[in-house]
Amino acid sequence: MANVTLPSVAARPGLGEFVLEKLLSGRGIWPAMPAILVLMVVAIIPFVILLSLGFSDIEVSRGAIVSRTFSLEYLTTALSDRLYWITFQRSLSLALSTTALCFLFGYPVAYLFLVGGRWTKRLILVLTIAPLLTSGIVRTYAWLVILGGRGVVNTTLINIGLIDQPLRIMNTQWAVLIGMVQIHLPVMILPLIAVMSRHDGNLIEVSQNLGASRLGTLRTVILPLSVPGIGTGSALVFTLSYTTFVVPQLLGGGNYLNAATMIYEQVVFSLEWSKGSVTSLILMVTCLVVLVSIALVSNHFTRWTRERDS
Amino acid sequence: MIHGPPGPATQIATTAPVLRIGAVSKRFGATTVLENCSLEVSEQEIVTLLGPSGCGKTTLLRCVAGFWNVDSGSIEIDGYDMAAVPVNRRPVGVVFQSYALFPHLSVLKNVGYALRMSGMAKSEASDRVAKALETVSLTGFEDRYPAQLSGGQQQRVAIARVLVMEPRVLLLDEPFNALDAKLRGAMQVELRQLIKRLGLTSIFVTHDQEEALTMSDRIAVMRAGQIEQVAPPDEIFDRPSTAYVADFIGTSSFWKAKAVAGEVTLPDGQTLKTELDGTVQVMARPHNLRLTEAGTGLWQGTVAFHRNVGALIEYHIETADGVTVKVAAMRQELARPLADSASVTLSVIDPALCAVYAD
Repeated sequence: MANVTLPSVAARPGLGEFVLEKLLSGRGIWPAMPAILVLMVVAIIPFVILLSLGFSDIEVSRGAIVSRTFSLEYLTTALSDRLYWITFQRSLSLALSTTALCFLFGYPVAYLFLVGGRWTKRLILVLTIAPLLTSGIVRTYAWLVILGGRGVVNTTLINIGLIDQPLRIMNTQWAVLIGMVQIHLPVMILPLIAVMSRHDGNLIEVSQNLGASRLGTLRTVILPLSVPGIGTGSALVFTLSYTTFVVPQLLGGGNYLNAATMIYEQVVFSLEWSKGSVTSLILMVTCLVVLVSIALVSNHFTRWTRERDS
Repeated sequence: MIHGPPGPATQIATTAPVLRIGAVSKRFGATTVLENCSLEVSEQEIVTLLGPSGCGKTTLLRCVAGFWNVDSGSIEIDGYDMAAVPVNRRPVGVVFQSYALFPHLSVLKNVGYALRMSGMAKSEASDRVAKALETVSLTGFEDRYPAQLSGGQQQRVAIARVLVMEPRVLLLDEPFNALDAKLRGAMQVELRQLIKRLGLTSIFVTHDQEEALTMSDRIAVMRAGQIEQVAPPDEIFDRPSTAYVADFIGTSSFWKAKAVAGEVTLPDGQTLKTELDGTVQVMARPHNLRLTEAGTGLWQGTVAFHRNVGALIEYHIETADGVTVKVAAMRQELARPLADSASVTLSVIDPALCAVYAD
């Protein structure tokens, strides 16, 4: 009998090797661990600290914390404050209008991408992605130039004699809305395009062959199949515009108060961290409520995707 | 018979073709995809467009369906020019290669789609849907979604979906491509019987010659945007009009010969009549050639290769002048298969079945 040397049992893998093996295995939450760790440090832990500020009475004496007791005082004050209701109502209606307008302007673009030729598709992609290459602040400043008293819009309107005095657009809610829609439009268009082009291109032709008009095809085939894209796009645009800070701050002229600018003022100017903490919490919870609603509606219209081999 | 569109269509004499494609040409930029294609399809006839990929067969189908406009020529259905008829008003049903079932609609709604779009009353529509599902034996699958069906079932839904609108012309674009080989054979027979039972006038597109031979009443062989020959399967196979058709359909061997005074002498000494003169190409099918172990015949060769094709053995024989000739022999004919590089004598069984083409 030949002498068979069994391969020696490998040395116990080191911790680094073990972790790397797990990360690359693609199982469970392991691959997400690096991201989770970063988020823990930069988002979750600070947020918990911030929250704890909102729910405790802190007595400070000579620069040192003397006592901390749990308290709902800040939350109840906030909820009974009319300013909070007005501000959140404004934030919510601004975010919802932005989402609705982004859908109204974005959907036709995505439709054009779907039915258009090769060059139409390329042009749409370039025009959609190009604005994302400049920062939101830069794009917001561009609106100052366009909408200002001596901006492009007013100069043109005066030159063609439609108005005598420049319209006051800057520092109004309209300027904020215009800026918001323009800045968030790509975020609506891209998921729509991604979802729409996922389906068999022949579906449109089939529907026409079966007697549907273009409108019929849009209503019965393209629209139902783009629901996941509408859901994703709306969720992204809503979240971004509900929590936006830069656009209202710059185009609203500093006197347009929404939830984000309110938190900024509470934390940076009045140094009321506890108030800021409670405001942040309300912002987050209300945002989640809307997101869950969007998800529920979207799920309702995509039940067919979950009908598999029953 | 399936009902035609209401109105004057019924006045057309029954001998008139249902579909008439007249000298259709189509270009994409500088490329000519269809050139002067003419084809007539009669009532209840199944005509196959057969050709390699890129020969324009799908383009022709798409022009008939109205997805693309033709650059010149005409497409008539029941004598009516379709040029001005938009895609959603043509009495044409298309079954796509991918089936393109609406993934978000149940089988019932997929099949009922055309009726819903036409605004038909619900009760009448549901009767017709039920009938169409019965026709394709899918009763009981109404509430399934396409993703829950097998490939064969999806194909049947795609067929039922066009059947409900009772099209004048049924267009099938390689409908078996997505099925596995075994199911394909069964579905070919099944689909032909179904179309015949319903009496549908159909155009069937494929690149698979066996499929074409199984499915069609007539086959139109296409080559580079032109229709090369239109004939029933037997004729296409036995009397291909061009060397291209002979080469594309079935197995064939070609060799060069000289035509003198209306006659071509075959390598084995037999003669064959022809109208051509000068250098010609002679084509023989493998089953029209006989092999005998090296003997005294005029036509000698050696076995270069052989393979088993079911009940047949196909031999590739290399002849003295360097031509490879394919011969089919029944297994029983030779007590034992000829070994490679064995010397053999070739002869033509029936010279009349050989075809002669200009070189």
